[in-house]
Amino acid sequence: MNAFLTWLVLLAPAGAAVVITLTALRRPATAARWSIGAILVAFAASLVLFRAGATGETAVVWLDLPGLRVDFGLRLDPLSLLMLLVVTGVGSAIHIYSWGYMRGDPGLPRYFAGLSLFSFAMLGIVLATNLLQLFVFWELVGVSSYLLIGFWYERPAAADAAKKAFLTNRVGDFGFLLGIILVWSVLGTLNLAELSAKLRAAPPAWGAAATAAGLLVFCGAVGKSAQFPLHVWLPDAMEGPTPVSALIHAATMVAAGVYLLCRLFFLLNAPALEVIAWTGGLTALLAALLALQQNDIKRILAYSTLSQLGYMVMAVGLSGAGGHPAPAMYHLTTHAFFKALLFLAAGAVIHALHHEQDIWKMGGLARKLPVTFWTFLAGTLALCGAPPFSGFFSKDTILTLAWEREHYALLALGVGVAALTAFYMFRLVLVAFTGPAKSQAPDHAHEAPPVMTVPLVALAVPTLLAGFWGIDRGYARQYGAEAAAAHGWAAHLFEPFAHAPMAAWGGLLAAAAGFVAAWTLYRRAVSDPLPGLLGAPARWLRDRLYFDELYAALIAATQDLLARVVAAVDRWVLAAGLVRGTAGVFELTGRLLRHVHTGNLQTYALLLAAGAVVLLWWTLAR
Amino acid sequence: MANLTFIVFCPLVAALVIALLPRTFNVLFRLLALGATFLSLVGAVRVFLALEPGAAGLQFEQQASWIAALGIGYHVGVDGLNAGLLLMGALVAFAAVCVSREITERHQVYYVLLLLMAGGILGAFVAFDLFLFYVFHELALVPTFILIGLWGRGEDRNFATFQITLYLSLGALIALAGLIALYVLAGADTFNLPELTRHLAAQPLSARAQSVIFGLLLFGFGVLVSLWPFHTWAPTGYAAAPTAAAMLHAGVLKKFGLYGLIRVALPLLPEGARDWVNLLAWLALGNLLYCGLVAMRQRDLNLLIGNSSVAHMGFAFLGIASLSVVGVTGTVVVMIAHGLLAALSFAVSGYLHRNLGTVNLDQLGGLLRAMPFLGGVMVMAMFAGCGLPGFANFPGEALTLFGAWPAHRTVVILAAWGALVIAAVYMLRAVRALWHGPLPERWRDVRDARGAWVRLPFVLLLGALVIFGCAPRLLTDQIRPVVARLVEPGAKVGAATVLAEAAPAPRFTAQPPALPGQEVAW
Repeated sequence: MNAFLTWLVLLAPAGAAVVITLTALRRPATAARWSIGAILVAFAASLVLFRAGATGETAVVWLDLPGLRVDFGLRLDPLSLLMLLVVTGVGSAIHIYSWGYMRGDPGLPRYFAGLSLFSFAMLGIVLATNLLQLFVFWELVGVSSYLLIGFWYERPAAADAAKKAFLTNRVGDFGFLLGIILVWSVLGTLNLAELSAKLRAAPPAWGAAATAAGLLVFCGAVGKSAQFPLHVWLPDAMEGPTPVSALIHAATMVAAGVYLLCRLFFLLNAPALEVIAWTGGLTALLAALLALQQNDIKRILAYSTLSQLGYMVMAVGLSGAGGHPAPAMYHLTTHAFFKALLFLAAGAVIHALHHEQDIWKMGGLARKLPVTFWTFLAGTLALCGAPPFSGFFSKDTILTLAWEREHYALLALGVGVAALTAFYMFRLVLVAFTGPAKSQAPDHAHEAPPVMTVPLVALAVPTLLAGFWGIDRGYARQYGAEAAAAHGWAAHLFEPFAHAPMAAWGGLLAAAAGFVAAWTLYRRAVSDPLPGLLGAPARWLRDRLYFDELYAALIAATQDLLARVVAAVDRWVLAAGLVRGTAGVFELTGRLLRHVHTGNLQTYALLLAAGAVVLLWWTLAR
Repeated sequence: MANLTFIVFCPLVAALVIALLPRTFNVLFRLLALGATFLSLVGAVRVFLALEPGAAGLQFEQQASWIAALGIGYHVGVDGLNAGLLLMGALVAFAAVCVSREITERHQVYYVLLLLMAGGILGAFVAFDLFLFYVFHELALVPTFILIGLWGRGEDRNFATFQITLYLSLGALIALAGLIALYVLAGADTFNLPELTRHLAAQPLSARAQSVIFGLLLFGFGVLVSLWPFHTWAPTGYAAAPTAAAMLHAGVLKKFGLYGLIRVALPLLPEGARDWVNLLAWLALGNLLYCGLVAMRQRDLNLLIGNSSVAHMGFAFLGIASLSVVGVTGTVVVMIAHGLLAALSFAVSGYLHRNLGTVNLDQLGGLLRAMPFLGGVMVMAMFAGCGLPGFANFPGEALTLFGAWPAHRTVVILAAWGALVIAAVYMLRAVRALWHGPLPERWRDVRDARGAWVRLPFVLLLGALVIFGCAPRLLTDQIRPVVARLVEPGAKVGAATVLAEAAPAPRFTAQPPALPGQEVAW
């Protein structure tokens, strides 16, 4: 029964994608029904499995060769069960919201097909039992992301962003694939359970390849979770429809990198974890800084996503050898709730303003869009780590982890980023939702229809309450660590302050400082005062520290230049020089031998045979 | 209908019938060609499904004596290695006839040549007599030149025809020299492959002779498969060729060389193979990286597909160079997958060329709005081309990389870059240039492929790619036992492979891929 339900979770969205593609490409309502129905079925089945606490593995053999056996399997354990709920739960809300947001778009069936394909691929990552299967679904989420970012493919910006996202991810996947091959060649299997058993039984089996393999696998996560230095694709990915940004580029797919690291935590050794921690920390800081000077509501959220992903990756790294990365998964989960909420609320704003995304053309929206405003505010508070919102608890576990590991540099970095987070998020809230209207656009804004506001409210519930649900203990169970729960809500709320006061107060005060700064600067602002205060650095931040330009120049100077040279060689040396040269020799010979070169078939046959004989003679006589 | 002689001779007899009919029966020519290739396809499907994987020896075997004095006979059969290739060849042949509606002149000669080509290819894949094997290949090769010369397109047509003829004749000649040398040195007075194999297993050739003959076969067959740096004939040739000829040649006929290497060179000349595989691995990298980079610079869709098709041959060579069961199995999967993919890509490109008059990427754009079906097909083909899971190319390419890793690490690392990044760059740039972006006014009225008959070849080829991509065991379970027999003398995996083959490794105790007793150095 459990095996059946697990297959159902995975295959329902796949079925929907196939049915829509084959039969419903011209029938929007049918397509929406299939897609939404499938994700709801998957959600319901996940709930049943979760309630039953089902664990276990089921698999069919996908490839079977000597020394290389690849299963196509499904694995249920605490980690995948919780992640299933996140993906299908948040996914359900976003699927339903999409039906309102995308209504009337001529490509709607294609949109829902893409969404279902994505759900299938993401669930495949969650349930995978071996490395190659992980890679397969890893690529499939990449391609569904490509299709959905480029959904409005007629807009050059969207088409370019889709391409950029896919290619950047491919650079990460290059490392991931090599890591998989390396793990296989050293340990002789791709199955996750076998790998972890082998490593537990005989860690030296690993040898010197451990760090290399860990870092190569991490490359995959760097690409998918948009960590520095491959972070450039995520902001551009905001060209896709907003619900896509919410589902794929905030809640689930970009978090897949973190999930991968937690799933393969047993592969990572201390040096690799140190690199991972610093990569995450740097990404968190860099993205928070870049967010300060963005004016597009979705791009601000995109950078904040990057920054939060940095926190999660940092948490994985901080867990250290012998620890467990439950804090990273905890933050991933709460982040999925509140960031999806923020994006959907931003979508409601964009919808109301007829696709205006510049916050400096908004203002005073709190009164016009009350539901949107209050839910957005809830998301913002959770993101900033204000108690009792879920984000407070999850962020606190990460800061506490840094404290406990005595990694004070990253603790300071985490606290600093918390201040920046509060600053840029309240800049967004204050400019867009309060103060005077800064253009004509907000005058005619209307609250979105219930099909969009109900998902907002539905996501606001876990945004507020998920900190009290014991999600962290659920994840800790995966790694065999049981923590005692605090009794009662109040005790739970105050527990962080008692347990690791430096971390809890540090994060809270930093957020407060960020809020105060934003309040002072932006409460009544009609244009951004920060460039005046900061000068040139503000411009650098607005221009995203010129990473895109740098990479473009780098690619032009290396790969593109090489391609240019090689293409020229191919054309002028190999084809023109050698071939035409050979042709010239043949022609000359032909002229000399004109009397045998009659041009009829028999002569050619004779020459063919003669040539063969000569070659043969030459071969044998030596 | 599951009769190999029937499958092979259906197109050949149809060609003969068409040649004898009056010149004006255009509709009948087409119907006959469709019918003949369809019958071949049905037969190939039935053979594929009826095949017993792992059974020793050949199945559906048929023999007749022919030139007994030289030990030449008619001998056809299938095993796991060529059943998939036969199916792929028959499918592409049928699809190629389907898209031949673009031909507007000299129908009779065209269909005769096309059917000769199809029959020759199918025959070459099932022949187990080296002489017959070669004759069938030539039967398919010569019509290719004529098809390109007479129905080709573009200004470079003459040069392209000239170049492809020169190169491929030369390659075939070198391969022939190798085969004859093999025949003479073996001294068994037979071209019959199973007999020759038995004979050489008992009395192997000297290491030196093996090395020389393997070299001849490698470069002879290599030229036929566009091994770098002997590849320049391929992109220009395909760009100039009529759609059906490009589909059949790039898709199927080109695989003849690879098939020859696996079927003849590896098992008969195991010592010789070891002398050459390091060089071969690096030449394969030439295909993968060099031709991939060249493809990045192309502005003509046909040249892009042609170069990418050459690049993909790198995987096939790399798998052969691995001399391992995993790698060579991967090569065979790549051959089948690439055959379907190349045929599909050239079919789409041919349709575009016929309807738009150009396939220059700079002049096109935004066509997905006007041609959603064809665009969808092409985008999927492009994804298959950059190794996306879900299409048959992925398992093949992954297996070649896994298989080659123990022997050729540096090459695999660079090849993975070619597979994952370079291929994605040129494929996605092409998608961006062709299908995305605003639709120019000029193309607002172009017609998408409409109607079941027009869509059929695309659907068939794409469907096969997806089916084999989702369930690669349909292919690998057939291929693996045969490949294990063929490469076993070469790989010296010995006990491990035999064990793994005799009793599939129980779950959770797979064999380590490193050679026994060899420490993995890192």
